[in-house]
Amino acid sequence: MAQIQESGGGGHGKGGKKRAKKQSTHVDMTPMVDLAFLLLTFFVLTSTFSKPKVLRMIFPEKLDEKTKDIKAPTVKDGITLLLTAKDKIYYYRGSLKPTTELIPIDYTRTGLRKVLVDYNKDLREKLQNIQERLNKLDEKDTAAKRKLDDEVLQVQTASKQIVLVKNDEGATYRNMIDVMDEFMIAQIAKYFVIDEGLAKLEKDLIKKQGN
Amino acid sequence: MPKVKMPRSNPILDMTPMVDLAFLLVTFFMLTSSFKSPEPVVVDPPTSTTKTEIPKQVFMITVDNQGRAFIDLTNAAVKSRVFEKVCNRSGIKVDSLTVKKFAGSGAIGLKISEIPQYLELGANERTKVNQTGVPYDTTGGKSELYWWAYYARLEAHADFKAREEEAKTRKFPFDKSNYIQFSVKAAANAKYDAVKNVIQVFRDAKVKQFQMITGLEAEPSFK
Repeated sequence: MAQIQESGGGGHGKGGKKRAKKQSTHVDMTPMVDLAFLLLTFFVLTSTFSKPKVLRMIFPEKLDEKTKDIKAPTVKDGITLLLTAKDKIYYYRGSLKPTTELIPIDYTRTGLRKVLVDYNKDLREKLQNIQERLNKLDEKDTAAKRKLDDEVLQVQTASKQIVLVKNDEGATYRNMIDVMDEFMIAQIAKYFVIDEGLAKLEKDLIKKQGN
Repeated sequence: MPKVKMPRSNPILDMTPMVDLAFLLVTFFMLTSSFKSPEPVVVDPPTSTTKTEIPKQVFMITVDNQGRAFIDLTNAAVKSRVFEKVCNRSGIKVDSLTVKKFAGSGAIGLKISEIPQYLELGANERTKVNQTGVPYDTTGGKSELYWWAYYARLEAHADFKAREEEAKTRKFPFDKSNYIQFSVKAAANAKYDAVKNVIQVFRDAKVKQFQMITGLEAEPSFK
């Protein structure tokens, strides 16, 4: 009880006049409060505030009879990322040769992010420049805005920076999402995930690295 | 020494403001919270820095760390229609009660032949069933997951068209964000190849756009 009932005033009045008993108008709210807080606790504990976030990915249609001869792009100066088991990641520049040196990196901001951001410096500067102009624009000027959007598309299409991603059987889904996320952060415009996974030479090179 | 007489104060506490507040908060949490439907598996998705929120209507493909695939659809009407079509194709006869049960059953990862039997079970018994995942092995032609994906894509499109039509006749503004989209919720430590194989099946069924569900990560830094 949150309140102590005072003794009712009947009987002791002056002159012995009979008065109606004064009933207290206070309602005991304790059970209601108990219930309210119980419900409150329940909803606080069960509700989830943040909706899950999504990473949008568009996969090309599967190769059919007409397109099956399309080969993965060969890149002169591109980066190839090799995702392997135990969260290990290697990369190399340019095309694959038996003398290619694999550079081991990690998924941190000083590893993969630094490599990608440095590699994509050119495009990032251009996009930054467009973004600055976009910020200066008048809200209502949709025509100019659209023009800048087109320009973004143009510089992205013209970008010569290409990243290939290959994974072996040990790579996890987390590895792939981390890489995709880093691509977004580094604003890489062109990247390819190779379905076939690692080439034999790449596997051999990784083995050599391990020794 | 004379005793100091303390004035007797009334120990009644007015709880009304507190109760007001408590009920206000209860109302708030009741209205904002949404309940999770029971899931046969709990998967822990990886994190990313994207800020896009999950679409309102999704066809959810869950892949756990053993590579089992589970399917679910947020739209009950479309879900029951897809179920009927898939059953029809496999020559399984289902009555309307089973279809109704399926629509409210949450994520499911069973062979189509096992589903009617599973739906007969009560909620408690269902959690005990060891679900093996929707088969997506393509060695024997089209897999069952393919047909789920195929009919889901068709029905999602039909649903979108019907909604658009309805908005037009009723002169409502049309909300495009209700379009059923395909999301993949895979465990962070699932093998990428398993997830890739599931996605491959959907690509076969001409589903190309996916929303990969991820947890939230802090803003990227470059230092």
